[in-house]
Amino acid sequence: MSTFQLEIVTPTKILDEGYIEHVRCPGLDGYFGIMANHRGAIIAIGIGEIKVTQNGKDHYLATSGGFIEISKAKVELLLETYERADTIDIQRAESAMQRAKERKQAKDIDIARNKASLLRAVNRLKVSRR
Amino acid sequence: MAKLKDIRNRIKSVKSIQKVTQAMKMVAAAKMRRAQERMEEARPYADRLSGVIYNLLPDVERELLDLLDVREVKRVGYVVVSSDRGMAGSFNTNILKKAQNEIDAIGKKIVDVFCIGKKARDHFKRRDYTIIESHTDFWNELSFGHAIKMGDVIISHFTNKYVDEIHVVYNEFINVASQKIQSDILLPLVFDEEADQITGRLYEPNKEDIIKSLIPRHLNIQMWKYLLESYASEQAARMVAMENATDNANDMIKNLTLQFNKARQAAITTEMLEIVSGAEALKK
Repeated sequence: MSTFQLEIVTPTKILDEGYIEHVRCPGLDGYFGIMANHRGAIIAIGIGEIKVTQNGKDHYLATSGGFIEISKAKVELLLETYERADTIDIQRAESAMQRAKERKQAKDIDIARNKASLLRAVNRLKVSRR
Repeated sequence: MAKLKDIRNRIKSVKSIQKVTQAMKMVAAAKMRRAQERMEEARPYADRLSGVIYNLLPDVERELLDLLDVREVKRVGYVVVSSDRGMAGSFNTNILKKAQNEIDAIGKKIVDVFCIGKKARDHFKRRDYTIIESHTDFWNELSFGHAIKMGDVIISHFTNKYVDEIHVVYNEFINVASQKIQSDILLPLVFDEEADQITGRLYEPNKEDIIKSLIPRHLNIQMWKYLLESYASEQAARMVAMENATDNANDMIKNLTLQFNKARQAAITTEMLEIVSGAEALKK
Protein backbone atom coordinates (compact mmCIF):
# COMPACT_ATOMS: atom_id res chain seq x y z
CA MET A 1 0.00 0.00 0.00
CA SER A 2 1.35 3.41 -0.83
CA THR A 3 2.26 5.60 2.09
CA PHE A 4 2.60 9.28 2.84
CA GLN A 5 4.32 11.34 5.49
CA LEU A 6 2.26 12.65 8.41
CA GLU A 7 3.35 15.33 10.80
CA ILE A 8 1.41 16.51 13.81
CA VAL A 9 2.09 20.13 14.77
CA THR A 10 0.78 21.63 18.01
CA PRO A 11 1.64 24.85 19.84
CA THR A 12 3.87 22.92 22.22
CA LYS A 13 5.42 20.18 20.13
CA ILE A 14 5.92 18.64 16.73
CA LEU A 15 5.53 14.94 16.20
CA ASP A 16 6.71 13.21 13.09
CA GLU A 17 4.53 10.16 12.64
CA GLY A 18 6.63 8.95 9.74
CA TYR A 19 5.12 7.21 6.72
CA ILE A 20 1.57 6.00 7.17
CA GLU A 21 -1.10 4.49 4.98
CA HIS A 22 -4.27 6.12 6.18
CA VAL A 23 -5.51 8.73 8.60
CA ARG A 24 -9.10 9.26 9.63
CA CYS A 25 -10.06 12.64 11.09
CA PRO A 26 -13.15 14.18 12.66
CA GLY A 27 -14.23 16.89 10.20
CA LEU A 28 -16.82 19.44 11.16
CA ASP A 29 -19.46 17.56 9.15
CA GLY A 30 -18.34 14.03 10.01
CA TYR A 31 -15.35 11.74 9.78
CA PHE A 32 -13.24 11.56 6.65
CA GLY A 33 -10.23 9.53 5.62
CA ILE A 34 -7.06 10.56 3.82
CA MET A 35 -4.89 8.23 1.81
CA ALA A 36 -1.75 8.78 -0.23
CA ASN A 37 -1.85 11.11 -3.26
CA HIS A 38 -4.79 13.08 -1.96
CA ARG A 39 -5.54 16.35 -3.69
CA GLY A 40 -4.26 19.47 -1.92
CA ALA A 41 -6.72 20.62 0.68
CA ILE A 42 -7.33 22.40 3.95
CA ILE A 43 -9.98 20.82 6.08
CA ALA A 44 -11.16 21.97 9.48
CA ILE A 45 -11.19 19.40 12.26
CA GLY A 46 -13.50 19.35 15.25
CA ILE A 47 -13.44 17.52 18.56
CA GLY A 48 -13.06 13.80 18.04
CA GLU A 49 -10.69 10.92 17.52
CA ILE A 50 -8.01 10.56 14.91
CA LYS A 51 -7.12 7.12 13.67
CA VAL A 52 -3.69 6.63 12.18
CA THR A 53 -2.91 3.44 10.27
CA GLN A 54 0.76 2.60 10.03
CA ASN A 55 2.09 -0.76 8.81
CA GLY A 56 -1.40 -2.19 9.03
CA LYS A 57 -1.74 -1.22 12.70
CA ASP A 58 -4.08 1.44 14.04
CA HIS A 59 -3.52 3.86 16.82
CA TYR A 60 -5.82 6.54 18.12
CA LEU A 61 -5.48 10.15 19.22
CA ALA A 62 -8.00 12.40 20.93
CA THR A 63 -8.03 15.98 19.70
CA SER A 64 -9.83 19.17 20.57
CA GLY A 65 -9.74 20.42 17.02
CA GLY A 66 -7.57 22.15 14.48
CA PHE A 67 -7.17 21.57 10.78
CA ILE A 68 -5.37 19.40 8.31
CA GLU A 69 -3.23 20.73 5.50
CA ILE A 70 -2.66 18.35 2.62
CA SER A 71 0.04 19.09 0.10
CA LYS A 72 1.96 16.97 -2.37
CA ALA A 73 4.97 16.55 -0.13
CA LYS A 74 3.23 15.65 3.09
CA VAL A 75 0.18 15.89 5.26
CA GLU A 76 0.21 18.08 8.33
CA LEU A 77 -2.25 17.95 11.17
CA LEU A 78 -2.30 21.27 12.99
CA LEU A 79 -4.00 20.55 16.26
CA GLU A 80 -4.58 22.70 19.28
CA THR A 81 -4.11 19.65 21.52
CA TYR A 82 -3.89 15.92 21.05
CA GLU A 83 -3.42 12.95 23.33
CA ARG A 84 -2.54 9.40 22.44
CA ALA A 85 -5.06 6.86 23.61
CA ASP A 86 -2.61 5.29 26.07
CA THR A 87 -1.56 8.58 27.70
CA ILE A 88 -5.03 9.93 28.47
CA ASP A 89 -5.61 10.65 32.13
CA ILE A 90 -8.95 8.92 32.57
CA GLN A 91 -9.58 10.33 36.02
CA ARG A 92 -9.04 13.88 34.86
CA ALA A 93 -11.34 13.35 31.89
CA GLU A 94 -14.01 11.84 34.12
CA SER A 95 -13.90 14.70 36.59
CA ALA A 96 -14.01 17.20 33.71
CA MET A 97 -17.10 15.44 32.41
CA GLN A 98 -18.67 15.51 35.87
CA ARG A 99 -17.97 19.22 36.23
CA ALA A 100 -19.42 20.03 32.84
CA LYS A 101 -22.54 18.01 33.60
CA GLU A 102 -23.02 19.81 36.90
CA ARG A 103 -22.58 23.18 35.29
CA LYS A 104 -25.37 22.34 32.86
CA GLN A 105 -27.90 22.90 35.65
CA ALA A 106 -26.50 26.27 36.61
CA LYS A 107 -27.77 29.45 35.01
CA ASP A 108 -25.76 32.28 33.48
CA ILE A 109 -23.01 30.09 32.08
CA ASP A 110 -21.45 30.13 28.66
CA ILE A 111 -23.48 27.28 27.20
CA ALA A 112 -21.37 26.86 24.09
CA ARG A 113 -18.18 26.66 26.13
CA ASN A 114 -19.62 24.19 28.59
CA LYS A 115 -20.89 22.03 25.77
CA ALA A 116 -17.44 22.06 24.19
CA SER A 117 -15.71 21.02 27.38
CA LEU A 118 -18.25 18.25 27.91
CA LEU A 119 -17.66 17.04 24.36
CA ARG A 120 -13.91 17.11 24.88
CA ALA A 121 -14.15 15.07 28.07
CA VAL A 122 -16.51 12.50 26.56
CA ASN A 123 -14.25 12.22 23.53
CA ARG A 124 -11.15 11.66 25.64
CA LEU A 125 -12.90 8.93 27.59
CA LYS A 126 -14.03 7.28 24.38
CA VAL A 127 -10.55 7.33 22.89
CA SER A 128 -8.95 6.11 26.10
CA ARG A 129 -10.98 2.92 25.85
CA ARG A 130 -9.46 2.09 22.48
CA MET B 1 40.81 46.69 66.44
CA ALA B 2 37.03 47.09 66.00
CA LYS B 3 37.61 48.25 62.47
CA LEU B 4 39.20 44.97 61.43
CA LYS B 5 36.24 43.01 62.67
CA ASP B 6 33.80 45.31 60.87
CA ILE B 7 35.55 44.78 57.58
CA ARG B 8 35.62 41.04 58.12
CA ASN B 9 31.86 41.03 58.73
CA ARG B 10 31.20 43.06 55.65
CA ILE B 11 33.25 40.70 53.52
CA LYS B 12 31.24 37.82 54.92
CA SER B 13 27.89 39.41 54.14
CA VAL B 14 28.92 40.42 50.63
CA LYS B 15 30.07 36.87 50.02
CA SER B 16 26.74 35.43 51.09
CA ILE B 17 24.87 37.91 48.89
CA GLN B 18 27.09 36.87 46.05
CA LYS B 19 26.13 33.27 46.60
CA VAL B 20 22.47 34.21 46.28
CA THR B 21 22.94 36.24 43.12
CA GLN B 22 25.06 33.49 41.64
CA ALA B 23 22.34 30.93 42.32
CA MET B 24 19.63 33.21 40.92
CA LYS B 25 21.67 33.67 37.80
CA MET B 26 21.95 29.93 37.27
CA VAL B 27 18.24 29.39 37.84
CA ALA B 28 17.35 32.20 35.44
CA ALA B 29 19.69 30.77 32.82
CA ALA B 30 18.05 27.35 33.05
CA LYS B 31 14.55 28.82 32.90
CA MET B 32 15.48 31.01 29.98
CA ARG B 33 16.77 28.06 28.02
CA ARG B 34 13.53 26.20 28.63
CA ALA B 35 11.47 29.21 27.55
CA GLN B 36 13.55 29.56 24.42
CA GLU B 37 12.93 25.93 23.55
CA ARG B 38 9.22 26.42 23.97
CA MET B 39 9.33 29.44 21.70
CA GLU B 40 11.02 27.35 19.05
CA GLU B 41 8.40 24.65 19.47
CA ALA B 42 5.51 27.06 19.12
CA ARG B 43 6.83 28.75 16.01
CA PRO B 44 5.94 26.15 13.32
CA TYR B 45 2.33 25.98 14.46
CA ALA B 46 2.02 29.75 14.52
CA ASP B 47 3.64 30.09 11.10
CA ARG B 48 1.43 27.50 9.41
CA LEU B 49 -1.65 28.98 10.98
CA SER B 50 -0.99 32.51 9.88
CA GLY B 51 0.09 31.17 6.50
CA VAL B 52 -3.31 29.61 5.94
CA ILE B 53 -5.14 32.67 7.22
CA TYR B 54 -3.19 35.00 4.95
CA ASN B 55 -4.00 32.71 2.12
CA LEU B 56 -7.72 32.67 2.73
CA LEU B 57 -8.35 36.18 3.91
CA PRO B 58 -8.55 37.91 0.51
CA ASP B 59 -11.42 35.59 -0.42
CA VAL B 60 -13.43 36.20 2.71
CA GLU B 61 -15.76 39.06 3.53
CA ARG B 62 -14.44 40.93 6.54
CA GLU B 63 -17.94 41.63 7.83
CA LEU B 64 -18.38 37.94 8.38
CA LEU B 65 -16.36 37.84 11.53
CA ASP B 66 -16.51 40.21 14.46
CA LEU B 67 -12.82 39.64 15.13
CA LEU B 68 -11.99 41.26 11.82
CA ASP B 69 -14.34 44.14 12.48
CA VAL B 70 -12.58 47.49 12.13
CA ARG B 71 -14.58 50.01 14.13
CA GLU B 72 -14.16 53.65 14.94
CA VAL B 73 -11.92 53.70 18.00
CA LYS B 74 -13.72 55.06 21.02
CA ARG B 75 -12.24 52.92 23.75
CA VAL B 76 -8.99 50.98 23.79
CA GLY B 77 -7.88 47.87 25.63
CA TYR B 78 -4.29 47.50 26.76
CA VAL B 79 -2.68 44.22 27.69
CA VAL B 80 0.51 44.77 29.68
CA VAL B 81 2.76 41.75 30.08
CA SER B 82 5.09 42.08 33.06
CA SER B 83 6.52 39.61 35.57
CA ASP B 84 5.57 38.54 39.06
CA ARG B 85 8.97 39.08 40.61
CA GLY B 86 11.55 41.78 40.53
CA MET B 87 15.33 41.42 40.59
CA ALA B 88 15.39 41.53 36.83
CA GLY B 89 17.11 44.82 36.18
CA SER B 90 15.00 47.35 34.34
CA PHE B 91 12.70 44.70 32.84
CA ASN B 92 9.51 45.79 34.56
CA THR B 93 10.32 49.47 34.90
CA ASN B 94 10.79 49.86 31.18
CA ILE B 95 7.69 47.99 30.15
CA LEU B 96 5.50 49.80 32.66
CA LYS B 97 6.88 53.17 31.66
CA LYS B 98 6.23 52.48 28.00
CA ALA B 99 2.72 51.17 28.65
CA GLN B 100 1.84 54.09 30.87
CA ASN B 101 3.13 56.60 28.34
CA GLU B 102 1.04 55.06 25.59
CA ILE B 103 -2.06 54.85 27.74
CA ASP B 104 -1.70 58.43 28.92
CA ALA B 105 -1.28 59.59 25.34
CA ILE B 106 -4.66 58.06 24.49
CA GLY B 107 -6.26 59.18 27.73
CA LYS B 108 -6.43 57.25 30.96
CA LYS B 109 -10.24 57.46 31.03
CA ILE B 110 -10.86 55.62 27.78
CA VAL B 111 -8.40 52.77 28.33
CA ASP B 112 -9.15 49.40 29.88
CA VAL B 113 -6.07 47.61 31.20
CA PHE B 114 -5.45 43.88 31.40
CA CYS B 115 -2.53 43.21 33.72
CA ILE B 116 -0.41 40.14 33.31
CA GLY B 117 2.07 39.67 36.14
CA LYS B 118 2.05 41.15 39.62
CA LYS B 119 4.23 44.11 38.75
CA ALA B 120 1.79 45.48 36.18
CA ARG B 121 -1.16 44.93 38.48
CA ASP B 122 0.47 46.74 41.39
CA HIS B 123 1.64 49.58 39.18
CA PHE B 124 -1.69 50.32 37.53
CA LYS B 125 -3.77 49.65 40.61
CA ARG B 126 -1.82 52.20 42.60
CA ARG B 127 -2.35 54.78 39.90
CA ASP B 128 -6.08 54.15 39.57
CA TYR B 129 -6.31 52.86 36.05
CA THR B 130 -9.35 50.87 34.93
CA ILE B 131 -8.19 47.28 35.37
CA ILE B 132 -10.49 44.71 33.83
CA GLU B 133 -8.54 41.64 34.81
CA SER B 134 -5.18 40.67 36.27
CA HIS B 135 -3.38 37.38 35.97
CA THR B 136 -0.69 36.67 38.51
CA ASP B 137 1.19 33.73 39.99
CA PHE B 138 1.13 31.50 36.97
CA TRP B 139 4.55 32.08 35.41
CA ASN B 140 6.15 29.12 37.11
CA GLU B 141 3.73 26.63 35.63
CA LEU B 142 3.14 28.55 32.42
CA SER B 143 1.15 26.47 29.94
CA PHE B 144 -0.82 26.93 26.75
CA GLY B 145 -3.98 26.73 28.85
CA HIS B 146 -3.10 30.06 30.46
CA ALA B 147 -2.83 31.68 27.05
CA ILE B 148 -6.26 30.36 26.08
CA LYS B 149 -7.82 31.54 29.33
CA MET B 150 -6.38 35.04 29.06
CA GLY B 151 -7.10 35.21 25.36
CA ASP B 152 -10.76 34.31 25.85
CA VAL B 153 -11.39 37.16 28.26
CA ILE B 154 -9.52 39.70 26.17
CA ILE B 155 -11.16 38.61 22.94
CA SER B 156 -14.67 38.62 24.36
CA HIS B 157 -14.02 42.11 25.70
CA PHE B 158 -13.44 43.10 22.11
CA THR B 159 -16.32 41.15 20.55
CA ASN B 160 -18.73 42.52 23.15
CA LYS B 161 -17.70 45.94 21.84
CA TYR B 162 -16.46 47.27 25.18
CA VAL B 163 -13.31 48.31 23.36
CA ASP B 164 -12.61 48.88 19.68
CA GLU B 165 -8.93 48.04 19.67
CA ILE B 166 -6.64 45.85 21.73
CA HIS B 167 -2.98 46.67 22.15
CA VAL B 168 -0.38 44.43 23.71
CA VAL B 169 2.78 45.76 25.31
CA TYR B 170 5.39 43.11 25.95
CA ASN B 171 9.11 42.41 25.90
CA GLU B 172 10.31 40.70 22.78
CA PHE B 173 13.18 38.30 23.24
CA ILE B 174 15.97 39.13 20.82
CA ASN B 175 18.91 37.50 22.53
CA VAL B 176 20.27 37.06 26.00
CA ALA B 177 21.71 40.55 26.10
CA SER B 178 18.82 42.45 24.59
CA GLN B 179 15.05 42.56 24.88
CA LYS B 180 12.96 44.91 22.87
CA ILE B 181 9.78 46.46 24.12
CA GLN B 182 7.06 45.91 21.57
CA SER B 183 3.63 47.39 21.26
CA ASP B 184 1.39 45.37 18.94
CA ILE B 185 -2.21 45.69 17.92
CA LEU B 186 -3.83 42.33 18.61
CA LEU B 187 -7.34 43.22 17.51
CA PRO B 188 -8.88 43.94 15.09
CA LEU B 189 -6.78 41.63 12.98
CA VAL B 190 -5.06 43.27 10.07
CA PHE B 191 -3.17 41.26 7.54
CA ASP B 192 -1.05 42.30 4.64
CA GLU B 193 -3.19 41.40 1.71
CA GLU B 194 -0.35 40.23 -0.47
CA ALA B 195 0.18 36.54 0.05
CA ASP B 196 1.25 33.85 -2.34
CA GLN B 197 -1.97 32.28 -3.48
CA ILE B 198 -2.13 28.54 -3.68
CA THR B 199 -4.80 27.61 -6.16
CA GLY B 200 -6.63 24.42 -6.82
CA ARG B 201 -6.90 23.52 -3.19
CA LEU B 202 -9.94 21.99 -1.64
CA TYR B 203 -11.50 23.71 1.35
CA GLU B 204 -13.76 21.75 3.62
CA PRO B 205 -16.40 22.71 4.79
CA ASN B 206 -15.76 26.11 3.14
CA LYS B 207 -13.36 29.02 3.34
CA GLU B 208 -15.56 31.06 5.65
CA ASP B 209 -15.95 28.33 8.24
CA ILE B 210 -12.26 27.54 8.15
CA ILE B 211 -11.40 31.18 8.76
CA LYS B 212 -13.95 31.27 11.55
CA SER B 213 -12.36 28.37 13.34
CA LEU B 214 -8.80 29.45 12.60
CA ILE B 215 -8.87 33.02 13.80
CA PRO B 216 -9.58 32.28 17.46
CA ARG B 217 -6.78 29.72 17.34
CA HIS B 218 -4.52 32.29 15.76
CA LEU B 219 -5.25 34.70 18.60
CA ASN B 220 -4.58 32.02 21.18
CA ILE B 221 -1.22 31.29 19.68
CA GLN B 222 -0.45 35.01 19.54
CA MET B 223 -1.24 35.27 23.23
CA TRP B 224 0.97 32.25 23.87
CA LYS B 225 3.74 33.88 21.90
CA TYR B 226 3.50 37.07 23.95
CA LEU B 227 3.69 35.10 27.17
CA LEU B 228 6.67 33.06 26.05
CA GLU B 229 8.56 36.05 24.67
CA SER B 230 8.01 37.95 27.86
CA TYR B 231 8.97 35.01 30.04
CA ALA B 232 12.18 34.38 28.13
CA SER B 233 12.98 38.10 28.27
CA GLU B 234 12.33 38.24 31.98
CA GLN B 235 14.67 35.37 32.65
CA ALA B 236 17.32 36.84 30.35
CA ALA B 237 17.05 40.22 32.06
CA ARG B 238 17.30 38.58 35.45
CA MET B 239 20.26 36.54 34.36
CA VAL B 240 22.14 39.61 33.18
CA ALA B 241 21.19 41.60 36.27
CA MET B 242 22.34 38.83 38.57
CA GLU B 243 25.53 38.39 36.61
CA ASN B 244 26.28 42.10 37.10
CA ALA B 245 25.43 41.81 40.77
CA THR B 246 27.81 38.89 41.13
CA ASP B 247 30.57 40.85 39.39
CA ASN B 248 29.94 43.86 41.58
CA ALA B 249 30.10 41.66 44.65
CA ASN B 250 33.45 40.38 43.41
CA ASP B 251 34.76 43.93 43.09
CA MET B 252 33.49 44.76 46.52
CA ILE B 253 35.13 41.73 48.03
CA LYS B 254 38.40 42.67 46.35
CA ASN B 255 38.26 46.22 47.70
CA LEU B 256 37.26 45.12 51.15
CA THR B 257 40.01 42.52 51.28
CA LEU B 258 42.49 45.19 50.30
CA GLN B 259 41.17 47.46 53.00
CA PHE B 260 41.26 44.62 55.46
CA ASN B 261 44.88 43.80 54.66
CA LYS B 262 45.88 47.44 54.89
CA ALA B 263 44.18 47.81 58.24
CA ARG B 264 45.80 44.62 59.48
CA GLN B 265 49.20 45.80 58.28
CA ALA B 266 48.68 49.15 59.98
CA ALA B 267 47.73 47.43 63.19
CA ILE B 268 50.85 45.26 63.09
CA THR B 269 53.04 48.26 62.35
CA THR B 270 51.67 50.25 65.27
CA GLU B 271 52.04 47.29 67.56
CA MET B 272 55.68 46.80 66.53
CA LEU B 273 56.32 50.50 66.89
CA GLU B 274 54.98 50.35 70.41
CA ILE B 275 57.17 47.35 71.29
CA VAL B 276 60.29 48.88 69.76
CA SER B 277 59.78 52.24 71.39
CA GLY B 278 59.06 50.48 74.70
CA ALA B 279 62.30 48.49 74.43
CA GLU B 280 64.13 51.65 73.39
CA ALA B 281 62.84 53.41 76.50
CA LEU B 282 64.01 50.56 78.72
CA LYS B 283 67.56 50.70 77.31
CA LYS B 284 68.08 54.30 78.36
